Amino acid sequence: MSNMNLTVNHNRSESGYSNNYSLLEMYGASDEEDKEEIDDHHQFDNVMEEIRANSLSSFVTPLNSQTIPKILSSDYDRYGFKKASLHQTITRKEYNEWFTDYSEYSLERMKKWKDLVNSSGIKYDDIPTRFPPKSDKTKKLIRRGIPSEWRGNAWFFYAGGYERLNKHVGVYDKIVKDTIGVKNKDTEAIERDLNRTFPDNIHFNNLPKDSKSVKDPKDIQDNDINNKPMIKSLRRVLVAFSHYQPQIGYCQSLNFLAGLLLLFMNEERAFWMLVILTERILPKVHSRDLDGVHIDQGVLMLCFKEYIPQLWNILGKNFEGEVISEDKILTKLPPVTLVTSSWFMSVFVGIIPIEAVLRIWDILWYEGSKTLFRFSLTICKYCLDNKTFKAKNDNDSGNTEFEQIEIFQFMQSYPKSLIDPNKIVDLCFKKIGGYGFGSISQDEINKCRIFVSKQRDKMKKKSLITNISEDERKMLNNDEIHDIYGFNRSIMNGVKWNNNISNKMKKRFSRKTSK
Amino acid sequence: MSDKVLKKYKIVFLGDQGVGKTSLITRFMYDTFDDQYQATIGIDFLSKTMYLEDNKTIRLQLWDTAGQERFRSLIPSYIRDSNVAIICYDITSKKSFENLEKWINEVKLERGEDVIIVIVGNKSDLNNKRQVKFEELQELSNKNKVEIYLETSTKINHNVKLLFKKIAKSLPDFKQDEVQPETIDINIDNKPQESSCC
Repeated sequence: MSNMNLTVNHNRSESGYSNNYSLLEMYGASDEEDKEEIDDHHQFDNVMEEIRANSLSSFVTPLNSQTIPKILSSDYDRYGFKKASLHQTITRKEYNEWFTDYSEYSLERMKKWKDLVNSSGIKYDDIPTRFPPKSDKTKKLIRRGIPSEWRGNAWFFYAGGYERLNKHVGVYDKIVKDTIGVKNKDTEAIERDLNRTFPDNIHFNNLPKDSKSVKDPKDIQDNDINNKPMIKSLRRVLVAFSHYQPQIGYCQSLNFLAGLLLLFMNEERAFWMLVILTERILPKVHSRDLDGVHIDQGVLMLCFKEYIPQLWNILGKNFEGEVISEDKILTKLPPVTLVTSSWFMSVFVGIIPIEAVLRIWDILWYEGSKTLFRFSLTICKYCLDNKTFKAKNDNDSGNTEFEQIEIFQFMQSYPKSLIDPNKIVDLCFKKIGGYGFGSISQDEINKCRIFVSKQRDKMKKKSLITNISEDERKMLNNDEIHDIYGFNRSIMNGVKWNNNISNKMKKRFSRKTSK
Repeated sequence: MSDKVLKKYKIVFLGDQGVGKTSLITRFMYDTFDDQYQATIGIDFLSKTMYLEDNKTIRLQLWDTAGQERFRSLIPSYIRDSNVAIICYDITSKKSFENLEKWINEVKLERGEDVIIVIVGNKSDLNNKRQVKFEELQELSNKNKVEIYLETSTKINHNVKLLFKKIAKSLPDFKQDEVQPETIDINIDNKPQESSCC
């Protein structure tokens, strides 16, 4: 039984990543699901009406001389998020101080973008649907931020959304139709997360409209939240996605990604963006075995060691305080990956303030997955450079688990105060006055991903072949519990590690940089 | 802080998705409550110094975890070395109760008898939606030799303080006057990569 599970999982992840996904193939195989007895046609018409209605509404307040004072006097930002973050990491006052400057900056950016779009001969009414081709100039402008009013369209354009959509006309509607009333493990998990996606956003929750008064929980019925158009859209996108990508299904954190996309584009487009993200930018990261999490964290750790050795000295330790030796980096990912994994899974949503997230997303859709590594390194180094972190480290040296966890707490809380997105973008890319992580290339990341993935495959194979006791084998198959993070014993035993990981990587890196 | 080394304890919060782990921690840490908390991805680390009767202070390190099954692949690593595992369910969700034994077994598999297991049935204010009787909790706890179990409501702040009081009292060597946190076996001897497999 347990062996069977392993095989099934394996096949699922193999089958998932083809571009020409056949719906027939998919729905033919979905016999585990109960479909409720409902009047499908009637319900479908209603749903389509809802989808159409939602696609017309914009959730981003445009910036102009009238709206800026309104935004300043509101408790919510232009996307509907509460300005004051949880536990007051950022207060409303701090937000407004920052926004006063940043709104000026954003207006100026809008002018630059209009100039570029006009000079590229692109005609548009309100918001462009096509954007300037990739060039150094465009890249520069992207890194300085896309105007929020244009973000949805620009993301979709640069991510290759049109290509995807044109190849799959009507597919989203079809999936929505076919999944009406479907109930399974994934849809149950989705239901539990809908209201826990952006509880501090007025589009996702019933929050008091701009008053200091505390909301009386009795006034608001749960049903009301579920009737919110945004929640319904979020449900449809996540359910459709879980059916389209069965090797992923629903993974917590996809709700944040879909939720953020829905603030900027209609649900059909949000759906395809989610597909693009999970296929091309974060492959296997959300899959049932979280395989991609392990691969990308391995790559990130190699980057740490290579690019911020002083940070590796602190964080490249296991909970016993021992520095993880070169040949063991991939077998025993250091505990810090407990912190950084979620940065990748949620693409920084909830990790740093929303405007900084959006700026990273601008760059991500245009430049690709290296962006995640570059900014993860930036945030870590930014933490390292902070006085508190230094003090912690001088006193404690992070040699015990408890001391390490104190460091992790800092790495989780400090980035939440990064209110100025220009700061983090400058730190990432500037060679002088910044960290210059723009030099990390996509090619390097791709090679490193393949390398780590191959090492993992070898490790898996070996551990399955070598003498594992029957109990251990059972445990391994049981959700592959020992597979991630490598703190644990059984799967790692008997694995002879390639001692040259680091040397190989160094060669790769140096070959690249010497070009 | 005094020059005395604070005694430190690690507490992990486990249980199904959406049962109220983050809410319980938030009530304990900040004495606040919101109707909804953002879903936890991976692990959130928090810590709190607790002042107890007779002038004792302890430092609690709280590990808030994601409830979805696939995140469970991370669990063995973080259960290790924990002093307490608080396993939560939602009294309005039979399913979350039925999954308790899975969680208990995973904790025992990793920590054997060296960990204090606590079972918490949250959302006790939603009595009209209740799907799990208190007697069922009692029965399950007795069966699994779990000594600390209770129902809480983070919303109306019911039993949360009591819960942590009970936990504090049951912590190992709580009564000793310690200078060194020697009882916490963070420096365990076995080096996983070298230990033999059978």
